Order: sequence, then C-alpha cells, then structure tokens
Amino acid sequence: MSTRKTDTGPDSPSSDALSGEPADSGVQPEGTLTRRSMLARTGATLAGGALLLGGASAQAQADVPGARRPREGSAADTGRRYAKQDWQAPGMPNRDYRPVVVPNGTKLPWKVVDGVKVFHLVAEEVEHELAPGLKALCWGYNGRVHGPTIEVVEGDRFRCYVTNRLPAPTTVHWHGILLPNGMDGVGGLNQKAIAPGETFRYEFTIRQAGTAMYHSHHDEMTQIALGLGGMFVIHPRRPVGPRIDRDFAIMLHEWRIDVGTRRPNPNEMTDFNLLTMNARAFPGTEPLVVRKGERVRIRLGNMSPQDHHPIHLHGYQFRITETDGGRIPEAGQWPETTVLVPVGSTRTIEFVADEPGDWAFHCHMTHHVMNQMGHDFPNMVGVKPGGLDAKVRTLLPGYMTMGQTGMADMGDMGMAVPPNSIPMVGGKGKHDSITMGGMFTVLKVRDQLDGYGDPGWYENPLGTLAVAATGDELRRDGVDVNAPPQVEPGAPENRRRG
Amino acid sequence: MRVHALGLAALLASGCASIQKERGHAEVTSLVEERLGRKTRWNQGRPEDAEVARHLDTLLAEDLTSDRAVEVALLNNPALQGTYEDLGVSQADMVQAGLLSNPTLEGSIGFPISGRGVSEHEFSLVQSFLDLFTLPLRKRVAQEQFVADTLRVAHETLATAAEVRKTFSEVQARQQLVELRRMVLQAAEAAAELTTRLHEAGNITELDLATERAAAEQARLDLAQEELALVEDREHLNRLLGLWGPRTQWTLSAKLPAVPEEEAALEKLESLAIRQRLDIDAARKQSALLWNALELARSTRFFGRVEVGVHTHRDADGPRLFGPTLSLELPIFDQRQSLIARLEAQHRQGERRLQELSINARSEVRAARARLLSLRLVAERYRRVVLPLREKVVEQSQLQYNAMQLGLFQLLAARREQVEAYRAYLEAVRDYWMAHAELERLVGGRLPGSSAGGAEQPQVPAQPAPPETQPGHGQHRDDGTESPHEHTQD
Ligand SMILES: [Cu+2]
Repeated sequence: MSTRKTDTGPDSPSSDALSGEPADSGVQPEGTLTRRSMLARTGATLAGGALLLGGASAQAQADVPGARRPREGSAADTGRRYAKQDWQAPGMPNRDYRPVVVPNGTKLPWKVVDGVKVFHLVAEEVEHELAPGLKALCWGYNGRVHGPTIEVVEGDRFRCYVTNRLPAPTTVHWHGILLPNGMDGVGGLNQKAIAPGETFRYEFTIRQAGTAMYHSHHDEMTQIALGLGGMFVIHPRRPVGPRIDRDFAIMLHEWRIDVGTRRPNPNEMTDFNLLTMNARAFPGTEPLVVRKGERVRIRLGNMSPQDHHPIHLHGYQFRITETDGGRIPEAGQWPETTVLVPVGSTRTIEFVADEPGDWAFHCHMTHHVMNQMGHDFPNMVGVKPGGLDAKVRTLLPGYMTMGQTGMADMGDMGMAVPPNSIPMVGGKGKHDSITMGGMFTVLKVRDQLDGYGDPGWYENPLGTLAVAATGDELRRDGVDVNAPPQVEPGAPENRRRG
Repeated sequence: MRVHALGLAALLASGCASIQKERGHAEVTSLVEERLGRKTRWNQGRPEDAEVARHLDTLLAEDLTSDRAVEVALLNNPALQGTYEDLGVSQADMVQAGLLSNPTLEGSIGFPISGRGVSEHEFSLVQSFLDLFTLPLRKRVAQEQFVADTLRVAHETLATAAEVRKTFSEVQARQQLVELRRMVLQAAEAAAELTTRLHEAGNITELDLATERAAAEQARLDLAQEELALVEDREHLNRLLGLWGPRTQWTLSAKLPAVPEEEAALEKLESLAIRQRLDIDAARKQSALLWNALELARSTRFFGRVEVGVHTHRDADGPRLFGPTLSLELPIFDQRQSLIARLEAQHRQGERRLQELSINARSEVRAARARLLSLRLVAERYRRVVLPLREKVVEQSQLQYNAMQLGLFQLLAARREQVEAYRAYLEAVRDYWMAHAELERLVGGRLPGSSAGGAEQPQVPAQPAPPETQPGHGQHRDDGTESPHEHTQD
C-alpha cells in the first residue's frame, strides 16, 4: 500500500552508472555526509577522470537530439556546477535516491536502454474508485488515475513513449521541467497532437531537481478535468539538505461528479464537489505513515482546474523547502502550518515527525473537505421541524428533516442515497465519525512500526486525551456551566439567543 | 231490425278495446332490459310502488356503482316517468282508432196545433258506414304510431342511462381529483410551513416566504373550486336519479376503473347502431306509418260520407212507416287530394329523416369511436409511461434529498408534478369512460365484449391525510362547498 517503493528499474548499481558523475562537484552538500554520499563522491571523482579520457564517447552523447548543456544559474540549479557532461548514467533507486512514496498511487516502471531511462505512458479511459462507493469513468494513464508517478534523477536521460488510446487526440506536457521547446507538449504549439492510436516519443535530459508534474496539454479543460495528469519527481543527483526518511508525493485535484452519475463533468467551473489527494477522497485516502523521529518530506502538486489549496498539517510546524522552481535556500524557507498550493504549482514541505499521534492533514477550505456536497440544499441550520416531518411523511414516507444543526450527521444517517455516491462527510475515526471528506488524510506517527502499513488508530497516553469534565473538576476550578459566560469589561457585547 | 241490431253489437264489440296502460311500458322494459340488463318501472302511484321505493332505498344505502345508478335512474328519473305517460297517451290514441264512430239516433214528434188530428213522430238510427272499411287500416296506423312512441320512449330511457353513466364517471373522477387537490395543498402547505420555519431561523428572505405562502393559498383555492365542482357533479347525478332529501346522501367509494386492457371489437359498430338503435327504428316505423296513412287516404279517396240507418215514421192518420236510410256524400269536389299530397310529402319527409338519422348515427359512431381510442391511448400512455416516470422522479428526488443534493422544496415540487400527472391521467380515464358511455348510447346498447375495469389502476403512492387535519379545509365546510349530505340533516 503506502509502502509500495520502487518499481521495475534495475536495482544493482553498475560501474557504468558511476561514470556519469561530474568531475568537479563544486559546493558541498549541506548536512551530514552519509557513507553512501561519500561513496558516490569518490566514484564521481574517478568517473570524472574517465570522462576526460573518453572524449569521443562524450561527443557521441552530445549528438543525441535534445541533449543540451545545463542552464547555469537557473532556478533549478541546486548550487552545484556541471562542467562538461550532457547526460549521465541513470540514477538508481536506493543508491542515488530514496524513492518517494505515493499514497493510493503507483509509479511508472522504466528500464535502461543504452543508458537511457525508457518509460511508456498509455493514455486511456479508466474506471477509477474515488472513494469506497464512488466510481467514475476518468481518463488516466496506464490504468491509473492519476497517472503513475514518474521518478527520475537529475542528469538522467529520459525517454518516454506516449500511446494514445483515448477517443480524442492528446499530448503530454512536462509541467515545470526544463526541456527543448519541441518536447514541451503543447498541442498545436509545440507538436502535432497525438491522434488516437498513435504513439509519440518524448526525449530529453533532466537538468534540474525538484517536484514537477505531467499532464495533457490538449483540450486541457476536458482532459485535465477527467484526470489526465501525474506527479513527476526529480531527485537531485546528490542529496541536498538533511537526509529525508519518508518522502511522499501527493497530487491535489478537484472534480465535479454529480450524485448518481459516473463521469466527471469537465464543464464545471466553480462548483466542484470532489476534492482529492492522489485522486482519492476521504475516507478513501491512505494515511501517511512515519516512524517517530523520521524526517518527512511531502511533495504536493496542484492539478485542480480552478482552486488553490491551503494544505494544513496538525501537530507540527514545517518548512516549505521547495517550490516547483526548485529548492528554496535555507534562509528563505518559511515555517508554516499551512502551505498554499496554487493551481499548477508544486510545494514541498519538510519536518521531523517527533510527536506521535494521528494528525490531520487537509485542505483548509472547508468546502474542500466535503464530498459531493449539494450547494442547492437550503440552509436548514436553526430550523425547528416541529410537526413538519409527520406532515411531509404523509406525502413522502421516507422524509426526514436534515441539516438543522449542520452537516455533521450526514455520514451516520444511513439513508438510501443514489447509487454511486458517497455521503458528504464521514469516515470512521477512533473516537467518533470524522466529519470531513474530500481533501483530507491522516499523518500517522508511531514510536514503533511494523513496516509502513496502516498501524491503526493511535492510543492516546493516559491524561493526553480531551474528555468530558467531571463535576469535581468544575467545582475545584470554580466553573459554573450555567452562569452567563464572562468577558473582560469593555468587550463588545454580543446578544445571545436564549 | 234483429239482424241490424246484431251487426251493431258486433261493431261495438270490435271497437270497444279496453285500455291496457302497462302494455307499452312492458315493451319499453323489455327493449331496455335487452340492451342494458336493467329493468325499468313505471311508477303510477299504486301500492306496489312503495315496494319500488323500498328497493330504491336499498340501492342507495350501499355504495353507488355505475350499474346501480342506472337502475335508480330507470326507476326514479322524473323526466323518464313523464315520458312513460306518453305511452298512456299513445295507447289511448290507439284504442280510439279502434272504435267505430257512434250511431246517431234522431227523433222528432209533431203535435197538431189545431186540435185536430194526431201527433206525428219520426225516429231514425243512423250509423256512419265508412268505418267498417277503414277501421282495420286506421287501427294499423294507430298501432304503428304506438310502437314508434314505445321505441322513442325506450330510446330516451337508454339516453338517460348513458347520461347517468357519464355523470357517474364524472362524480367518481371528481372525488379522486378532490383527493389529489388535497394532496397538492398538503405539499404546498408543507412547503409553506418549511419556509416559515426557515424564515424564523433567519435563513431565507421574506420574498421567498411570501412566494411559498401565496402558492399554498392558491392550492387552497384550487381545492375549494374542485370541491364545488364535486358538489355540482353530484347534483347533476341527483337530478338524473330523481333524488332529493335524505336520498341525496348516497356515497360512492369505488375508484374510477382503469381503461380496459383490450378494446371491444369496434369494426361493426356502425351496422350495429343501424340495427339496434331505437330512434332509428322509431323513425323507420314512423315512415311506415305515414305510408299506411297515405294508403288509407288513397283507398278512401272516392268515398264520401256513407251513412246507413233505419228510419221509422208515422204520419198523421197515415200508416207507420219503417225503412232503411242511406246518405251518401258525393266526392265530386273534394277527393282528399290535399290530404294525400300532404301525407305524401310527410312520408317523403319521414324517409329523409330516417336517412339523415342513419347517416348521422354512422358518423357519430365513428367520431365517438375515434375519441374513445384516442383517450384510451392517452390514458394508457399516462399509465404505462408517464406515471412510472413521475414516480421515478419522486423516488430519485428522495434519494438526492437524502444525499443533501436538493432540498425539500424540490422534493415537494417533484411530488406535486407527480400528482398533477396523476390528475391528468384521471381526467383522461374519466373522459374515456364518458366517451365509452356516449358510444354505447350511439350504438344503442352495450358495446360488444366490453366490461369495466381491466388493468389495475395505478396507485397514488402516498395517501393524503384525512381532510380533518387540514386546517384550511374546515373553512370550506362552513362555506357550504362541502358535499351535499349536510343539508338534508337540518
Ligand atoms: Cu482546497
């Protein structure tokens, strides 16, 4: 599940792989120098010598179309300098990088052919479960919505075949990635759109590190609204910043799927009713599981058609360490508890998970933590139904007045609803039902973990859980629950309804 | 003299037919029963008629059905009873036609004024003789007239029965329509009440509040109008059934039967109408009668008045004289040519009338049949397609409501539309049965193979609450727009 790690890439490093490292590594990476990075550097130095000797082969590589020199001083520049190389030997998981974890998602497999990482994306219609009880016909890649996360390493030569099995032409745009113009994937502008049945090849060298995305850039309104997108994670060739123990990638999205229908409506502009993390709405989202003390990175990409999402994490302060432009210098990193992820952007946060528990992690727009909310439902808050229910029931036997105290009961009522729809709110929590849905998940931090599967609910240590106050406590502290609430003199008076 | 006296007696006997009032009515009864399967009765204020009154009360004590209403009308419709009296008149005419004209007795006495001589007297008994020749023909004409009258009366009876059936369907439908209006009012009141509560909670504007309240008031007025229509329809039926006083308290609980699954075979309806319609038969008889009258006039055109008699005379001092008399009208100037011409014209007129009636009957049958089929299609479409769809709309609205996608207003609106569709369906079914009754009238009897009620009548899914719970409804009762039962209790 959340512990799905690497895919089909070769996992044993070869000597060839080391030969691509730069001769001069320039600026030292910050943080502790691990044994692994030490080894890599040693290798790199050796390889640099080899490269100088083998100028002919380096020249051959430079002839590959699209292969370019890096843009020095670009925003993606992590501070190191690459003097001569064009592209490097493929970066390998668990050697050159710690693979990201994609809750509820998958990663795109690849293989190395002549030192090039070769991927294959197939755009097609996919029946996707957004939450238990709600399936929709979406458009995705390789049987997934969103498409599997692509994970590469800075300096990798990236080659991706894109097969179109959709009924409409499409393209793939490599969102936020520095590449030759003809590889940018804007239909009509940069290329001819990939007709149904055709396969195109995209190829370029990865010349940056950070979090990017990929998505259709043809009839964007339709194709993005139907789900054609995915995360594109680029690890730095050499670690940057403190060592990360758990690295999550989450794509944010919003949809309009009317209750009782089974296809997202791409025509919707503002009234979205499904907000997802990796195309899943709570209670369908998998928790983010970490061990206490681990340094956690969460990469967020926003592919929503219209909305920014202020994603809020409980229990911690974090630092925003990357935008989709790359890593933010340490001096510019902000401590936050909420990170705004604008439409079409990525943001990466990092923190050390030092406080165990089940911590909410969600969009703070309150309508974004609702599932399939009906915005035409009248405001029933404060309405006293009295004998109305009985009266209406003579006409409509199944009637019951709802919403007089809000939406919280929605998840528990168990009333018949249209097929293929889920309650607006409600997932099971340890203490009660959770009155949220949509863009909501839980960060589960534990002292001990048996792998990274869902460890269940957190057991709050004695005395650390809010409970009903006892009479003794109230008396001890002189609290009279029936007395009018007190305010300091001079505070503006609010009229209370008795 | 003896011979003559005997002959006279025979003449008298043959002419002096007694009047049998029931004879024509029995004929009507059998014609009607043959076509409707119900007996009709002529109330003549006799002791056994009390029996009929008791039978009426039993009929009215139970729930009225279409057949029972027809039976009540046949026994009790005052216009029909008046028509039955026509048969008495016709019967009397027929008896009259069979009577010989009375003999004339003449006598005179002359007394001597001078004192001399004796008184003289003269007597004669004279009988018009022509009657002997014309009587059988005259009787035939009168008889045909009587038969024609009988047919006409029977036809009117059938027409009344058809009207009773139509009105019965109207009342039946109207009761259900009132019920539906009540449901609509309930839906509107629920919506208005919800708006009030929403407004009290501070959640909606006064505009919304006023709009919903106005809608509820409109529904209340619509109900009042429908209730009045029910009263009017009931009164129409009361008139047809000849009811007043406590007898107007009849009830009717059966729902309008659904349109039968299969239509009676309608191909031969035109010829059936020509064969069995009593007004056509009556016109045919009328035409024949005029022909006979014409024959009568023609055969007697050269006969004037013929009077034969006996005569006795005694002169002063003279012998008593006795002998026959004969008086003969000489048809020199008036040979009844005008009467014959008039009868000829009337006969042709009768023929034309018969033709017109037949052509019209055929056309009316075709039109009524087309209407019946068309209404049947409408009703079936509602029953098979529209009502299930409307039900589905309500069902799905309820689910969408449960999922909080739409509010009670939309849910109630869906219900209201469903009720309105049901109302349109009921009206189509009612019109179907009225067209059915009309077609029966036009064909002159029940339709072949037709029977009420085939398919199950679709149900209105939820039953409206009893009217007592409707605050608005009580006012209508006070206004006297409620059912006519109440008045009779005062
Ligand atoms: Cu949001």
